[in-house]
Amino acid sequence: MPNPYHVVVCASVVPDPLQTLEPVTGPSGPALKNEMMLPAILDPWASHALYEGANLVKHIAGSKLWLMSMAPKAKLQQVMMTVAQKVPLQLVAVDGPSSGFADAHQTAHALAAAIRAIAGIDLSRLLLFGGWESASRSAGVTLQLIGEELGIVDQFQGVDAITPQEDGSFEVLERVEGARHQVSLCAGPPAVLGWATGNLGEPRNDPQVGMANMRTIMPALQRATAASISSDGLQYSNVATPKQQRQTRIVKDLPAEDIAREIVQWIKQE
Amino acid sequence: MDTILFLAQTEEDGTLGKPALEALGAAVELNQALSGTLVAALYGAKVQPAADAIANCGASRFLAVAGEDFASARYATDAAACEALLRAAQATLVITAATSRSSRVMAGVTHRVGGCVDTHVSAIAADSGSVTLTRWFYRQRIEASLTRTQRPWVLLLDPGAHAAWQGQGASGPITPELITVPVTESMKRTAVRGTITPPADQQTIRPDAKLLFVAGAGWTKKQKDGQTHVPEAEALIVDFLHKSKASLGSSKSLVELTGENQSALRFMSHLNQVGQTGATPRHPKGLSTCCHGEEPHTVGWRFIGERRAINLDPNCGWARGKADVLYVADAFEVMSKVNALLGS
Amino acid sequence: MTTADQPAIERASIDVDIACVGFGPATGGFLTTLSRQLLNDDGSPAIESKAAPGLPLQVICYERADDIGFGVSGVVTRARGIRASFPDLDPAQIPMAAPVADEKVVYLLDPVGASRRSRALRAGDRCLRALGRILGVAHNAFELPYTPSFLHKKDGLVLSIGQFNQWVGSQLMSSGAVQIWPGMPVDEALIEDGKVLGVRLVDQGVDRQGNPESAFTAGMDIRAALTVVGDGPVGAVGHDLDTRLGTPPGNEVREWALGMKFVIELRPEVDLQPGTVFHTFGFPEPEIFGFFYVHPGGVASVGIFVPSWFDCPTRTVYRYLQHYIQHPYLWRYLEGGKLRSWGAKSLQESGKRGEPYLVGDGYARIGESSGSTNVLTGSGVDEAWTSGVQLAEGVLELLQAGKPFTRENLAQAYEARRRASWLEREARIAEKSRDGFQRGVVTGLIGMAVTAFTKGRLSLGSHPAKPCERIVSPEQFYRGKLKPAEIESIQHQCNVGGTSLHDSLMDACGWPAIAHDGSLLVSHQDVLLMGGKVQAPAGYADHVRFRDLEVCGRCGTKLCVEMCSGQAITRSLEGPPNFDREKCVFCGACMWNCPESVEGRPNLQFRAGAGGLHSAEN
Repeated sequence: MPNPYHVVVCASVVPDPLQTLEPVTGPSGPALKNEMMLPAILDPWASHALYEGANLVKHIAGSKLWLMSMAPKAKLQQVMMTVAQKVPLQLVAVDGPSSGFADAHQTAHALAAAIRAIAGIDLSRLLLFGGWESASRSAGVTLQLIGEELGIVDQFQGVDAITPQEDGSFEVLERVEGARHQVSLCAGPPAVLGWATGNLGEPRNDPQVGMANMRTIMPALQRATAASISSDGLQYSNVATPKQQRQTRIVKDLPAEDIAREIVQWIKQE
Repeated sequence: MDTILFLAQTEEDGTLGKPALEALGAAVELNQALSGTLVAALYGAKVQPAADAIANCGASRFLAVAGEDFASARYATDAAACEALLRAAQATLVITAATSRSSRVMAGVTHRVGGCVDTHVSAIAADSGSVTLTRWFYRQRIEASLTRTQRPWVLLLDPGAHAAWQGQGASGPITPELITVPVTESMKRTAVRGTITPPADQQTIRPDAKLLFVAGAGWTKKQKDGQTHVPEAEALIVDFLHKSKASLGSSKSLVELTGENQSALRFMSHLNQVGQTGATPRHPKGLSTCCHGEEPHTVGWRFIGERRAINLDPNCGWARGKADVLYVADAFEVMSKVNALLGS
Repeated sequence: MTTADQPAIERASIDVDIACVGFGPATGGFLTTLSRQLLNDDGSPAIESKAAPGLPLQVICYERADDIGFGVSGVVTRARGIRASFPDLDPAQIPMAAPVADEKVVYLLDPVGASRRSRALRAGDRCLRALGRILGVAHNAFELPYTPSFLHKKDGLVLSIGQFNQWVGSQLMSSGAVQIWPGMPVDEALIEDGKVLGVRLVDQGVDRQGNPESAFTAGMDIRAALTVVGDGPVGAVGHDLDTRLGTPPGNEVREWALGMKFVIELRPEVDLQPGTVFHTFGFPEPEIFGFFYVHPGGVASVGIFVPSWFDCPTRTVYRYLQHYIQHPYLWRYLEGGKLRSWGAKSLQESGKRGEPYLVGDGYARIGESSGSTNVLTGSGVDEAWTSGVQLAEGVLELLQAGKPFTRENLAQAYEARRRASWLEREARIAEKSRDGFQRGVVTGLIGMAVTAFTKGRLSLGSHPAKPCERIVSPEQFYRGKLKPAEIESIQHQCNVGGTSLHDSLMDACGWPAIAHDGSLLVSHQDVLLMGGKVQAPAGYADHVRFRDLEVCGRCGTKLCVEMCSGQAITRSLEGPPNFDREKCVFCGACMWNCPESVEGRPNLQFRAGAGGLHSAEN
């Protein structure tokens, strides 16, 4: 039986991917128009990490799961109303910006400090989970930076599976080029795993899980530490949505044979 | 004056992959624009073939970390190698390709040398000594240019974003300065066992394909006769991929239908997903079928060169203003004819 | 399927003290009032839970939509009840809220020439145009010199209900006194011996027909001493109660309307003061009323209401909305604007006449589905809020007195409170105010004025017919405009192509084609993506079902297809229409438009479902 894990899932709060995003210049650099009004969700890749983490914890006795997120408190509260119904978790809330334009290095520094401050955490058992990228900054660096701050040198990105072994080691599948997976065996925690989609579907909403979680989530939100992220040395210019509009030729009322011929000709063109 | 470090992993045979040569192209160009000093650094099991191949790139120094310990993509040893190379080069700017291997370690390496890192860089420009990079935020939906004062600044260039370096090989062999990186037992806690490759007949993702074929959820919806035709859709798509050697992309909704085990296409997985929460592959051409969507649904083919679409809706947002040609037609009919023509 | 005939499935069950169904203004009012009395200043329980002894009262609310802010309504409200709950209310704290600044009632002339106007109306229009200069007719519109007192919203607020709900919900959640769970549809009430014992949540991990699949999770039973039903006019639990426990004799919801609107970002140079309100009538059809509310930040909510007494057998709303916004009176502000959001919602227009039993053993009804809407003033949000507040006051009284939630106790504590309040008083005045519309628009408008000025003592018109009783055939409706052969050919083409009739019929009647501009005037399908952002999570059963498939096959009008706001219900060559959950915005128009009934209920069943709109700006 593998030793218990202490899984911390780092997850950003991002705008619901369905929303229209428009950049504006705010007092502290670029921001999204109506950022506080846009519906938010837990980052999709980090959500996969959360579900995988919860599954791991469920099957390995004595393991614990924390969900750590940095966002404006009101946004975190809104997102928790949905996330808290998914899996049993303890929230570690950091009240700070969730903008994709916030600097990753400073964000990582604040999150690393928050992990160290978790009561009862054993860093030697730590599996630091998160998405391999986010739907906001989309950089895929924050998790590595936190790992380095915590001195973790076994790191994996684009993870689709973790399989604990009897001797305490675990096997990891990472996405690499050409739709392949790299297979690694890691001796054990601590390790960083940046998840791609994994293999678990989204858990069903469970009212009992929600009620149990909410007893700890509201106090966690109330004692959320504030983090200020500066943008020293970083300057943005030309923040814009892509403008390229193509002149679409619309082909109507052409028999399927003719369309097929045109397409095949086009495919074969060098 | 800037010192620009071109950093690359070598492939199994000791050569450089295409993404690395693209990064070198960008590094050489940037070095010229800044009138700086170019340093090339390589790591992997073997480095000599790569060093020889880029001997003429204009680098003033060639550094390398080599050996079996650095053969596979393992965080601890890769990070140690890259850290040593960065320190030896004393670079202010580091350019490397955003491969899976370098993406795994470069942020950590940057942290070790007290620098800053930017990934998914799509363009690098130098103007009056100042470097500006362009990259995407919010999953290819907002493009921003930015600059940083902190050094070293590590830039991971997205594959396909720059032309590959095409210089001539060396007239004579180059001897890189080999840097010794002690590999401790604690760096070997992870052992890379190899890779899993899907069987050739199930391989639907082909990064080097000329064409990306995007299948939308419309393939699984009820057709004109009020019935779904999923097996037919499956057969048509598989046949087309086989004949055209195209890569298969899919919309989120179609992939998720598959995940839910609903009547959906069996060969589809999350790896196929393009768009907001999927990949944004680069291919010269793209053909979308039965896709519907506006921003953000269309970010999946942000980096596709020529685009055509087949859809029954002439106002389809996925196509209008986003594709070069929209065929208002039934994809079932058209694709079966396309397959017939490709087969003949 | 009811509780009784459900096959035996192992279900988890939890006990709470109060379970609420649906989070809208009514439940907002209820929970806001209740939550303030549940905890002492030191955080200890002011009222102890019976379901979980030692803990504070366990109050839980389930909302069907994926977020509590995904409501669909931009409103102007007098906000009397809301202000009473928040005496220090600063509208600036609520995104998109503004105090009413300027209010106009505007009669819109038909600049297109395709509108179906009666002879009387055409004569009136000619007079207006002739006397245009004197009367101040401009932009094809006539601004009424004053706003009738029953319509005005002076001292009120322009609100986005989505943002308002979010604002209220956020305060409730941070109080820690109550729990609100979005994304959790309630399937039905748990009823035994005429008593409501709680609610059953929907099954998850099922196919479209509701059959268990691999990740099946049976919907949990939430057992509660009190079930508060505030799930709106098309809410599944409210309808379930009406079906299983009956409705007061004579009370029935016979009048409905579908409201549809755009939230539009105005071009920067449009200088309209936040809080500007236009109520319009006359265009695109005389039966269709419209609104234009200006929010802070250069954003406007613009929409129309299509009432059930608009006898058109292809009652489309989207196409009419596109013509509406292009009316010159409005287009001068809207041209060059950008679509931010879009949505649609059914309104219960019977008001007090549609009132169900407000209380019963173990349950109480609040909000729009409790008949709280005032049909004379066209006001619903404030009334819904107030009904929730009144229930909370009654519930607190019972809790403090240690009395159980019986029919008698709830009648005394809540119903009597409501009956004695302005809510009931004004609803009684309004009761028959719209009967005149059964005979036509002009009679209807005069009837409303008569009712208002006589304080409800007089009214015009007759008891309303049900929507399905009023529907005429396309041939009858378009008589004089289109020939039967022409209609038949259009019908045939639509059946073959699986499309709805209304666009083709409107084209044939002379309505100009919509010139799509990609940013505000977009196709019906694109509006779902750009403005509606509709989602349908997998693993839930279809919420629109057809009870008797043969009945659908026989149905001539297929009104569910024609009036579907999202083109989610489409024609099929045979049998029942197709339903595509990924396009459904949960407006519920299909339910009240279904012309066929089976065992006294519409053949189209509208159940609780997951997903729908993802927009908080509505």
